[in-house]
Amino acid sequence: MPAAHEVYVELTVNGEPRAATVPARTLLVHFLRDRLRLTGTHVGCDTTQCGACTVALDGVAVKSCTLLAAQADGHEVTTIEGLADPGAGSLHPIQQAFQDEHGLQCGYCTPGMVMAVRQLIEDQPDPTQDQVRHALDGNICRCTGYQNIVAAALSAARSMRDGAARAGGTDSAADPAGGREG
Amino acid sequence: MFPTDFRYVRARSLDEALDLLDEAAAAGDEAKLIAGGQSLLPMMKLRLAAPQVLIDIAGLPELSGGGWYGPVAGGHLSYTIGALRTYRELGRDTLLAGGLVRGRDESAPPHQAEGIPAVTDALAVLADPQVRARGTIGGAVAHGDPAADLPAVLLALDAEVVIAGRPGRHEHKPGPPHHLPRAPRPGEEPSNVERRTMLLDDFLQGIYATDLAEDEIITHVKITAQGGRASAYEKFPHPASHLPLAGVAVALTFASGTLTDSGGRVTSLSDGSIASAAIAVTGIATRPYRARAAEAVLKGAFPAPDVLAAAAAQVARAGDGTELSLLGDQHASAPYRAHLAEVLAGRALARALARAESA
Repeated sequence: MPAAHEVYVELTVNGEPRAATVPARTLLVHFLRDRLRLTGTHVGCDTTQCGACTVALDGVAVKSCTLLAAQADGHEVTTIEGLADPGAGSLHPIQQAFQDEHGLQCGYCTPGMVMAVRQLIEDQPDPTQDQVRHALDGNICRCTGYQNIVAAALSAARSMRDGAARAGGTDSAADPAGGREG
Repeated sequence: MFPTDFRYVRARSLDEALDLLDEAAAAGDEAKLIAGGQSLLPMMKLRLAAPQVLIDIAGLPELSGGGWYGPVAGGHLSYTIGALRTYRELGRDTLLAGGLVRGRDESAPPHQAEGIPAVTDALAVLADPQVRARGTIGGAVAHGDPAADLPAVLLALDAEVVIAGRPGRHEHKPGPPHHLPRAPRPGEEPSNVERRTMLLDDFLQGIYATDLAEDEIITHVKITAQGGRASAYEKFPHPASHLPLAGVAVALTFASGTLTDSGGRVTSLSDGSIASAAIAVTGIATRPYRARAAEAVLKGAFPAPDVLAAAAAQVARAGDGTELSLLGDQHASAPYRAHLAEVLAGRALARALARAESA
């Protein structure tokens, strides 16, 4: 296979198979926004610092402005649009916590913050405030609204733990509805 | 922002990747290898790098393996890490972080791994979680960034770089004995890939300059678990980029063993004195370096506060005691970086000693 200016990419985005031929230099964030019209993933600094473009690649939070669409070929991407269970008709517990704690001001950084908090809670279901702040090292809120963002992360972790505990006895950890009522 | 136009190809094997490098060279194209891309893509987006061909090596199985070997000289374990291992994966590696490790034989009791705290220190403060999920140890070494965190720790652990290329093209400098490459198994095709091993200290040459030739690929990084827990990494990060304005890694070993005289009397040599000290500094010179003048102060000495301070005062000096040429920019002047390195060396030494005592 020779090197080519155009690359055929096939990936799963929010559970759906997507395919397109794109210029090799297409960044994943532009593929998501411009090709797939999934504009919830934002471009902020565009220099790998602000985290507004955070998505999950094979379940791990990454910065989609620093990833070629070609590198995501064959992989699974979850964006902010795919976080909540579409069947449930409600927000994901992390989104709900950001709303409840008013974890946003202008909202531009919020999708990236939510996707970074998703990773944090998956890694550390019961984080301390310090751990939350450390885990959000790669996300910048230009409104400097960190206080409520941290509160939202802690609240989300709590409600997801409660949800998992309530669902205990059944197959709890994988229950997508876990913690939704919190 | 997006990079200048380039051609992209995904290599499926090490052999194919080496072919692709040769093809690009034959066509007069500048080729770059990409794995995580966390350093390369930002440079390409800023047009500081503009390769014509990008060869994606992220899926190469030959760059993924690794495990503990040893003991090597001095009784330390040696750890071979596949170049594609991400910072995130390494940060969650029990052998590096310390903890109970089970072997393949499930009936055998688990092994308590000491871990190498300097590595986990660096992995916790390096860049940010999203970047750590993509960035690889091979890239950290290949990039030759004078302000990278991990190379300082790797230098302090006497890391070696394993490099693959075509046979007969590059000189093999005699290095310490190593376990790669293995002989081909019966029935396997004879390999057209040759590996050379080089000390990281020889590999790093200057600002974005290394000994890696354009037709070579780093496959593994090898480290030695010197002294187990008595290691630490301390940095002063730039608040926006998280790069170290200065960073210092230390790894200490202590005198040990016993002497038995002709009368059968046994004397313990474990008197708390430092047998060896490895100190590496990043962010302040054209490349991460071993602070050998500071190391010499500690070798054979007792870790008293005045000795530690005297060693820290030498971290910005070369092995022969002369001043190193230091970097300064709009973020921090050269004298300020040297001052930070001295303070951080003191902190890293104190942390490594505290860990040795608690072990």
